[in-house]
Amino acid sequence: MKETSKDIRIRNRMMPGAITLNGFIGKDKRSIADIIAADENTLQTLQKTPEEIADRMQYFTDASFSTFAGNITLDDIYDVETEVTRGKLSCPYAHGGQFRKSVTKLTNTSNNVTVTWTALNIHLIKDHHFFEGKGSTYRTEPENLVKALF
Amino acid sequence: MFITILKDVALLSAIGVTLAIIMVLAQRWLSNYGDCTIDINGKREITVVGGNSLLSSLADKQIFLPSACGGRGTCAACKCKVESGGGPILPTEKPVLSAAELAAGDIRLACQVKVKSAIKIEIPSSIFNIRRFNAVVSEIIDYTYDTKGISFKLSEGEKIDFQAGQYVQLDSQPYKGVKQKVSRAYSISSKPEISDSLQLIIRYVPEGICTTWVHQCLKVGDKITLTGPYGDFLIKDTDADMIFVAGGSGKAPIKAMLEHLAVAGCTRKMTYFFGAKSTKDLYLTEEMHSFENVFPDFKYEPVLSHPDATDNWTGKTGYIMPYFKDAIRDPKNTEAYLCGSPGMISAVSKSLMEYGLAKDKIYYDSFG
Repeated sequence: MKETSKDIRIRNRMMPGAITLNGFIGKDKRSIADIIAADENTLQTLQKTPEEIADRMQYFTDASFSTFAGNITLDDIYDVETEVTRGKLSCPYAHGGQFRKSVTKLTNTSNNVTVTWTALNIHLIKDHHFFEGKGSTYRTEPENLVKALF
Repeated sequence: MFITILKDVALLSAIGVTLAIIMVLAQRWLSNYGDCTIDINGKREITVVGGNSLLSSLADKQIFLPSACGGRGTCAACKCKVESGGGPILPTEKPVLSAAELAAGDIRLACQVKVKSAIKIEIPSSIFNIRRFNAVVSEIIDYTYDTKGISFKLSEGEKIDFQAGQYVQLDSQPYKGVKQKVSRAYSISSKPEISDSLQLIIRYVPEGICTTWVHQCLKVGDKITLTGPYGDFLIKDTDADMIFVAGGSGKAPIKAMLEHLAVAGCTRKMTYFFGAKSTKDLYLTEEMHSFENVFPDFKYEPVLSHPDATDNWTGKTGYIMPYFKDAIRDPKNTEAYLCGSPGMISAVSKSLMEYGLAKDKIYYDSFG
C-alpha cells in the first residue's frame, strides 16, 4: 500500500531517536497501514477488537499503578507490575496526546504467558490499532496479548 | 515541430523561474517582521527579530521557559500568559490546553506562538533566574545497577543560584542513531551552598533518549549544557516536624534538602523513609544514616517491599505507610515532602491524611 505524505510524517516520528531511542517500527519493512491491517486480521480470527484489548490493558495498568509499589495480583492469576519514570511521551500520530512513561509487565500464571506494554502502547492500540512493527522494543503479538489478558 | 516544443519548454521554464523569484522575494519582504518588542510582566521590554517562536525569542535573550519537547508543542511545559499580540490559538495548541485555558484564551504555548508584532506576556518572576549553563562532567558514580550520580563543574566564573528541591534541564547531544538533542528534567542532588557545580542522580530509563545518552555515552571531561533552576518543590521555613518519602531517583531532591538543612543547623524532627524493592535498589545508605549524627532528631528508614532471600535484610519490610505511626507525634504540626512515582505519591498522601496531616502540608514532586 502506497504511503501518503501524512503517513510518511508519522513514520518519521516512529523512527529511532525521534520519540524513543529505538522507535516503533523495529525491523518491519511494511507500511504502517499494512502492519495495522495484518494485526486487525489476526484480531478478527481471535474474535477480539483493538478496543477490547486496550481496555483490558488499561484496567491492569490502572490497578497496579494505583498501588504504592506498583505491583498487584488480580483474580489470583494476574501478576501485574507497573513502573513509572519521570516525564511524558507524545504520540507519533502528533495529535497532541501526552502519555506517562510507564511500563506494565503482566504474567498470567494460569498459562505462564508474560506480556509487557507502555502507556503509549495502550493508546496506539486503542486509537490507532497499531501494535508496533515486528522487532520493535514494545511490540507484543496480538495472539500473546489475548492469551495473557483474557 | 521540434522547435515549437523547445520554445514551449523554455517558456514554461521561464515562467517557473519567475514565479520562484517572486516567491523568494515575497518570503523575504512579506515575512520580514523586523524588530518586535516583547513586554514582560509590564516591567521589562526586550527587542527581538520577528518571525521566530516566543520560546526561542525569549531564550535568545537568556529567558528560559521550561521546555522538554524541543519546541514541538507536545510537552506543554512552556505555557505562559500572552495578553496581546499572540494571534489566535493554533490547532497545535488546543490538544494540550485545558477547557478553562481555552476559554480564557490567553494561556498559550510559547513554542507555538510566533512573534510577528509587539507582544505582551506574563511569566513568573522566578523565570528570570533561569539561565543556560556550560559545564563539564567532573565525576560519575555508579550508585546501583541502573542509577548514576553525575557531577558537573560549571564553566569558569559561572554560578547557579538555586534552592534545595529544584531541578535543571539537561541537554543531550546527538549520538549513535539519535540525530536530535533533547532536554530532560533532573532534580539537583547537591546542596545549594555549592554554586559552582552540581550533582544529578539519573536512573536509566529503557528506551529513554536522554538517560541512554547519560548512561552509555557521557564520560568525565565531556562538555554539556543545562538550563535552570526550575521548580517549586521547596522546604517550607517553619518549625514543623518533617517526613520525607522517596523512591528510586526521588532521593535526589531529598538529599539536597538534607545537605542544605545540615548547613542551616536545622533542629526540626525529621524522618526519612526510602522505599525500594530489594537491597540492590538501595544507595547512599551510609550517607543518609550519617545525618543521624548531624541532626539532633533525624532517622533514616529504608524499607524494602520485596527483599531477596539472599539479601539477609533485617530492616523494615513491606510498604512504608504503616511505619508513619511511629514518626508522627503531632499531625497538625507535621509536613511531608514526597518524591517518586505518582502511585507512591498517591498512596502515601492518602495514608498521611488518614494519620491527620493536612493536605496542604503534603508537598511533592511527582514523576508522572
